[in-house]
Amino acid sequence: MTTDAWYDEQRRMTPDHVLAVTFPPTRWSRHGFEEEPVRAFLADVHAEMVRLINERSSLWQEVQRLRRRILGKETGNDAILFGKDDAHIHAVRILSSAQRTADRYVADAQAYSGRLTEEARARRDEIMGQAQHHADLLLEEARTRARAAAVDAMDHDGLPPQTDQERRAVQAELAYLRTFSEVYRQHLRIYTEDVLRTIEDWEGKERAAAREIPLAAHQQPGIGWLHSG
Amino acid sequence: MDIERLKSNFARIAMHGDEVPLHFYSDLFLKHPETRPMFPVSMQAQRAHLVDALATIVSSADNADNLAGFLRDLGRGHRKFGALTAHYHAVGESLLATFAHFSGDSWDAELAADWLAAYELIAGIMTAAALEDEQDHPAYWTGTVVGREWKAFDIVILTVRTEPRLEYLPGQSVAVESPARPRLWRYYSIANAPRPDGSVDFHVRLVDGGAVSMALIAATSIGAELKLGPPVGVLRLDTASGRDVVMVAGSTGLAPLKAMLEQAAGLRQPPRVHFFFGARHADGLYDLSTLEKMAAEHPWLTVVPTVSDGRFEGEAGPVADVVMRQGSWSGRDAYIAGPTELVTDMAARLGAAGMPVTQIHVEDFGWSEP
Repeated sequence: MTTDAWYDEQRRMTPDHVLAVTFPPTRWSRHGFEEEPVRAFLADVHAEMVRLINERSSLWQEVQRLRRRILGKETGNDAILFGKDDAHIHAVRILSSAQRTADRYVADAQAYSGRLTEEARARRDEIMGQAQHHADLLLEEARTRARAAAVDAMDHDGLPPQTDQERRAVQAELAYLRTFSEVYRQHLRIYTEDVLRTIEDWEGKERAAAREIPLAAHQQPGIGWLHSG
Repeated sequence: MDIERLKSNFARIAMHGDEVPLHFYSDLFLKHPETRPMFPVSMQAQRAHLVDALATIVSSADNADNLAGFLRDLGRGHRKFGALTAHYHAVGESLLATFAHFSGDSWDAELAADWLAAYELIAGIMTAAALEDEQDHPAYWTGTVVGREWKAFDIVILTVRTEPRLEYLPGQSVAVESPARPRLWRYYSIANAPRPDGSVDFHVRLVDGGAVSMALIAATSIGAELKLGPPVGVLRLDTASGRDVVMVAGSTGLAPLKAMLEQAAGLRQPPRVHFFFGARHADGLYDLSTLEKMAAEHPWLTVVPTVSDGRFEGEAGPVADVVMRQGSWSGRDAYIAGPTELVTDMAARLGAAGMPVTQIHVEDFGWSEP
């Protein structure tokens, strides 16, 4: 593999990247750059420098080890290709990389669970918002009709009903209005209960799902369960 | 001991970033596998803690008093993890091996001897504090959940009875471990003044993706057992100041302030308290009814609920704005708890409005992860 291909595959930063980087200009003045992208780039440069320092340190230790081996040969001592100390350092490296893998799995699982709850929260807010809006509409409509009914009644010359016939008509109207308000209340109640039921269903499912997690963790110790989820 | 040389050596080692604590823990776990179960599966936060603690120790090496206090707390705090004197030797050995590894050719016998001496000093203070603490307190308290109440769709109040009784001051918090998330400890404020039966309340808010809060909310039922660490924190009600009080709580920052409010209610002459309770939405004011009940019983208490977003028949806007709008508080003691941005912003604004720093009390968890 060529060096370039290696850099590409590892997505490592090259000197060219540093020279070619561009930043969006700040919105507030004609000079300067947006702070966020500059900081992000500096963080990348820092990470790359730390990586280079660590690689250099590993190589330096490897050089020391090989030098000791050659010197050992020259002085006629028992030259060992791979001593006990080297084995320990290698074991430390292997364990470190295993630990990194474990950390990544846990972080992924946590990010996933974070996304799930975030989505659930957004969905809940949406349902609640819709319910509130719907309830507001129903109320407003009922109010408008009540107002119209009141105006109608006033238009009846403002005089109390005189004849039996008029009285019966007003009573009929009153009965209608009562029924109307009853029906609307019923509508509202059913709708609200339905929304509540949806939320409870959803909560029940969430809770059931949350209860399964520790159980699964118990059955498959270690981080194995993270794969299955 | 050449402290300056140790400092510059540490700066050189620290250049290697996360590799340093990674190497240290791998070295420790290989040489002493029995120490691995004392740590969580993911070591990411743990490694950051180690580096922070080391940086604090190295940077305050010249300030012996501060450093000793920090180390004593650290020693006491490590008891709940099951740290024993023998572990300190193991840690010292791996720490020195790690420092030697990353120092390259600048490592020599003198530096090794200096680091060893420094480590023995540190471990000595930590183990002495742990041993002293052992005389009076258990390493952790076992708590049984005796009450569990949903207050909002994402907030639960857990009531826990401990064995033995947990002695604490209102305003303090404890680290909590759930059996569903072993070896992950998170700090929660105790939300009540000490009760005759010794039970304590925790206000647990579901943090999106928060491993421990999720377990405490979803997988903790009545009868469940939790582990509680020793009480920590510097937030206390100054009962001797003679000044009136303004309290500002954001979200579950209500917990420590409510404990202090209950404490004030038990005083012979409670100060006048103006209590601001802020949330984004009205349903975030999860325990407002309890506060309002207290206000109805106690003429010295005024409760002002505020909501920054959405519909609410009360004060609108960020709680800090409402506080500043409602008057001048500089003659009072202020107690602030809640999200970091709220606490910092509120403290700065009260300070700018003339309140002396000594009268502003905020929650501070120090180096540990809240």
